[in-house]
Amino acid sequence: MNGVLAIYQKEMWHYFHSPIAYFMVSVFLLGTGYFFIYNIFFTGIAAMADTFQNMGILLLLVIPVMSMRLFASEYSDGTMELLQTLPLQSWQVVIAKYMGAVTMLLLMIAGTMIDLVPLYMFAEPETSTILAGYIGFALLGMACLAIGQLFSALTENQIVAALITVSVLLGFWFVGNMQSFQTSQTLAILVGYLSFSDHFGEFVQGLVRTEAVAFYFIVSAIALTLNASYLQWRR
Amino acid sequence: MIALESVSKRYGSKTIIHDLSFNVEKGEIVGFLGPNGAGKTTTLRMVAGFTTATSGRVTVAGWDMATQNVAAARRIGYLPEHPPLYDTLDVSTYLRFVAKAKGVARAEIGAELARVIEACRLEAVSRREIFKLSKGYRQRVGLAQALLGKPEVLLLDEPTIGLDPGQIQEAREVIRSFGDDHTVLLSTHILPEVTLICQRVAIINHGRLLAIDTPSGLQRAVEQANHVTLHVTAPAEAVRAELLAVDGVSALEIRPIAEDDRILAIDCRVDDRDGMEAAIARAVASRWELHRLERRHPTLENIFLHYVSESPIAEAAA
Repeated sequence: MNGVLAIYQKEMWHYFHSPIAYFMVSVFLLGTGYFFIYNIFFTGIAAMADTFQNMGILLLLVIPVMSMRLFASEYSDGTMELLQTLPLQSWQVVIAKYMGAVTMLLLMIAGTMIDLVPLYMFAEPETSTILAGYIGFALLGMACLAIGQLFSALTENQIVAALITVSVLLGFWFVGNMQSFQTSQTLAILVGYLSFSDHFGEFVQGLVRTEAVAFYFIVSAIALTLNASYLQWRR
Repeated sequence: MIALESVSKRYGSKTIIHDLSFNVEKGEIVGFLGPNGAGKTTTLRMVAGFTTATSGRVTVAGWDMATQNVAAARRIGYLPEHPPLYDTLDVSTYLRFVAKAKGVARAEIGAELARVIEACRLEAVSRREIFKLSKGYRQRVGLAQALLGKPEVLLLDEPTIGLDPGQIQEAREVIRSFGDDHTVLLSTHILPEVTLICQRVAIINHGRLLAIDTPSGLQRAVEQANHVTLHVTAPAEAVRAELLAVDGVSALEIRPIAEDDRILAIDCRVDDRDGMEAAIARAVASRWELHRLERRHPTLENIFLHYVSESPIAEAAA
């Protein structure tokens, strides 16, 4: 357990000493702030729904940049040789790195809560809906990170890892749109079920369904399991 | 302590290691000697558990490194070919991370850090970021990392590479001092290193073990193909006939020396018997002028070249 903690602390050290991490967090917070102000003044409604939708798209672009170095840099720096000869199982290394990335994600989300201050000062927004939105957003981010971490483990090149992750995440986000020109009923249901945006949409509307929560957890679990198995297989 | 049983490693259709078997006993320092690309790094990676053998078995302290590598990892200190360093961390933060990750008890981490920093002479740079360090210091931080947690087995891939002569001396002292209660397997392509540090030497080329013995044992083995060289003023054909008539001389190579073409340099391949020099001297000195005669004892270089040049390079290239 100490080993997992050691890697987690090393990861956190990296985030706080990495200009890329600061840059991406800044981009995300500035972007979110912009969308928030824009949506509030455009609609005049004290809600976060539209902002959450915009944050979702922004997240698809920020996550790959955060996740690309997770394993790719360990390969190119030769430090994988240390990580894989420590008294730790591959899955423990995967979890430690993932927990570090999730911590950063949660800090980033916490940063966006500054937008809530004016909302509560000047209006009476629906707290439960906002809470549901945040839960959905965190789950979406966790699933995206797990996918990004998997692709970072598959290549030594960080840029390649980021590009593949962006493509896959955009695919999962927009796959739901295919429902409209589906002739087969089963295919339409399947496509809808795979859609990151459809599930996220429910949370944004204030709906926390077990099915949607389970969906994001399952996606994360599958990606992390593949990640650990790949590391094990690579030996 | 370390045992390889007919280990092979293939990457795709390429075989890197062919049927390699050897043992390293507890407390022994064994040098792994071979040219670049001989398979030294791959073998050490298998012993460290970083990669697994395609066939055969690698065990360390009885643990199978293919399946029980995590349990064995606590007993192994490993310095890979490229020291596995995080450039942005400073030296003591890095060492603290490795100590924790290796499972060193929290209360002992401070003492462990002090111990390895002293052993590897890192006091001066312990607060410096790793990317600012010279190659020699990077190598020493790599060595310090391997020593953390007092592992019973040390695997060192080219431990003295990148160090200046003074540092090499120090690194050897460190490694030798660990031989008392550690088992050490180190790879190198620097020949004198193995005679200075190692009790036994394994020579490897093209992924095959060519010989494993004590340095003096290897020397004895090669002495069977001994050489006597002499300088003599004589006609080439006559001296050739005379020398080949001497019992024990099996082959000759004759060429004039560079300074004076009347003097011939002759290289005789002789038996392992004592007194071969005397017999040759008698045969030559009675008729011609003998300037110089010496029996060449094989140096480690010669031993190494002897084994490496006899290894089936043609087969491996085919």
